Amino acid sequence: MRQITYHIHRFNEGRAYVQSYTFDYEADRTILWGLQKIKDTLDPTLTFVAACRSAVCGACSVKVNGQAMLGCEAKIDEITERFGSDEITVAPIGNFDVIRDLVVDWEAKVSRLKEVAPWIFVKPEFTTKTGTRQTAADFKKFVMNTECILCGCCASECNKLSANREDFLDPYVYTKANRFVMDSRDVSPMAHTTPAFNHGLWKCVHCMNCITRCPKHLKPEKDISNLRRVATEAGLSNKGTRHAIAFKQDLLKTGRLNEVTMSLKTDGLLDSAKQGLYALRLWKHGKINPFELVVPHKPVNGIEGVRTIGRAVEEAGK
Amino acid sequence: MKYGFFPGCVLEGASKEDYLATVAVAKKLGIEIQELDGWTCCGASHVQDIDPLLTLSTNARNIALAEKEGLDILTVCNTCTLMLREAKKELDEHEVTRQKVNNILGEAGMNYKGTSEVTHFLWVLIREYGLDNLKAKVTRPLTGLRVAEYYGCHILRPEEEMGFEDMQIPTSLADLITALGATPIDFSRKLDCCGFHAVYPAHDSVMQMTGSINADAQKEGADCVVTPCPLCQMQLDMFQKEAKATVPMNGDMPIIHMSQLIGLALGCTPAEMGMTDRHLASTASLNRFL
Repeated sequence: MRQITYHIHRFNEGRAYVQSYTFDYEADRTILWGLQKIKDTLDPTLTFVAACRSAVCGACSVKVNGQAMLGCEAKIDEITERFGSDEITVAPIGNFDVIRDLVVDWEAKVSRLKEVAPWIFVKPEFTTKTGTRQTAADFKKFVMNTECILCGCCASECNKLSANREDFLDPYVYTKANRFVMDSRDVSPMAHTTPAFNHGLWKCVHCMNCITRCPKHLKPEKDISNLRRVATEAGLSNKGTRHAIAFKQDLLKTGRLNEVTMSLKTDGLLDSAKQGLYALRLWKHGKINPFELVVPHKPVNGIEGVRTIGRAVEEAGK
Repeated sequence: MKYGFFPGCVLEGASKEDYLATVAVAKKLGIEIQELDGWTCCGASHVQDIDPLLTLSTNARNIALAEKEGLDILTVCNTCTLMLREAKKELDEHEVTRQKVNNILGEAGMNYKGTSEVTHFLWVLIREYGLDNLKAKVTRPLTGLRVAEYYGCHILRPEEEMGFEDMQIPTSLADLITALGATPIDFSRKLDCCGFHAVYPAHDSVMQMTGSINADAQKEGADCVVTPCPLCQMQLDMFQKEAKATVPMNGDMPIIHMSQLIGLALGCTPAEMGMTDRHLASTASLNRFL
């Protein structure tokens, strides 16, 4: 008889340990089914959360072989085939505090979510009589983001959160913010954008784990990108903004980056001066050439065409 | 086998050694790479953040340069690969967008058709050139060299744009390292992000990320870290000393471009690969394997 083994990362009263459970294989079963089987037949103390069993409530997210997914959606057959083993590691999703076994604490996360005002500030022209109608095209701009079920999968392997959770919000928070920024009925996009900007918007490292983990195929990294555009157009600026603007200037000026001026434009004169010794080391190893400060890069062949494209893009945006 | 070479800005600047090594390796392997005349910065995800239509258009122009030559694009930078492939996917799958961008390109006398693919040097070596053929060219097997295989995010994720292999259990880089006679260590942080793209706005977190990768490579017994991405190489090498203040480690961990590792196995000297003077973390400890 084929058997499946779960190695479960357990946590109880401050003690973390891995406990293994083996049970008979059954075809076409989910990871959640296996957890329930263990609880029902092997160990009633195993603690996890589950509700709808239909990938709608977002309660049963767990980390399976290192990757966050919904327990009710992940098939044992697919996991064993993909990883080539009947032994499966199950752990609580990452970047959350664990309450017990596979149950994580959402309390603090809800407070963080509230920071971006994830609700609509309805335009004054809408009334209880007229309703809040919008065109199908406007509806399409944000409807994908309403699919977020707050399962936490996008946060689980977010490399920025793993490095420091304090100065960055969970990816789904930015997704929720962008949902209202993109809603034509909302009168105040900056009520969502400004708090996002003030709380780590430019600290995303583009690791792309959020996009690969979302069971609803949402793209939090793209939401972060759009919020950055909105914030920049509204005049909000920091090192991240200045860095992006410097890239754009170089693209239109010569076609390629000037790493020396890039650093100056991003850090500013004072911060750059503080890095003097480091810059000398980089120069010594040929990593930067300070003469590029005074001798500009030669523009690429066809730079006029690139600039023409830049002007045409500006026109298209008007 | 001929490709339109898109080096990316970093190979012209901080990572000139990767340009040197890539050109030398391609020549030794008989892969013809012709640098695209007039290529521009891919936007590196930063310009995409503030002006997505501009980068979609300039990347359409970049791909159109290869189309004009009748060549597929070969890149060596993970982020360039992702940015170009993102643009291509958007243009190929959305007729209205393609039309809009072509109207813009038309102002500069150019047109995007969608006839050129965008690929990475690592993928070409695995899928087109073949590791058996690469192995046959090895003149100096890197026997005994323990390598921490470090992929870098943008060659794996998002799967929708990249999709060369399973992003959770990739093997391409480890397979390549094995073909060169060296030993991949099954590095615990092979899927981690080095933090490069946020080194200015999220400096402290990024030092934590960079430091953890370097220190764990050392703890796991690697002689060096090898990556197919020049941005990751730059981050792990140039910021290694600074990151030690956040995550302590002893001595230097050499951070090697994939192209350099291949070059060494093909008989090139470290100096020819730019390893003797263009790395901040010393690579001298690797000489005993040569």
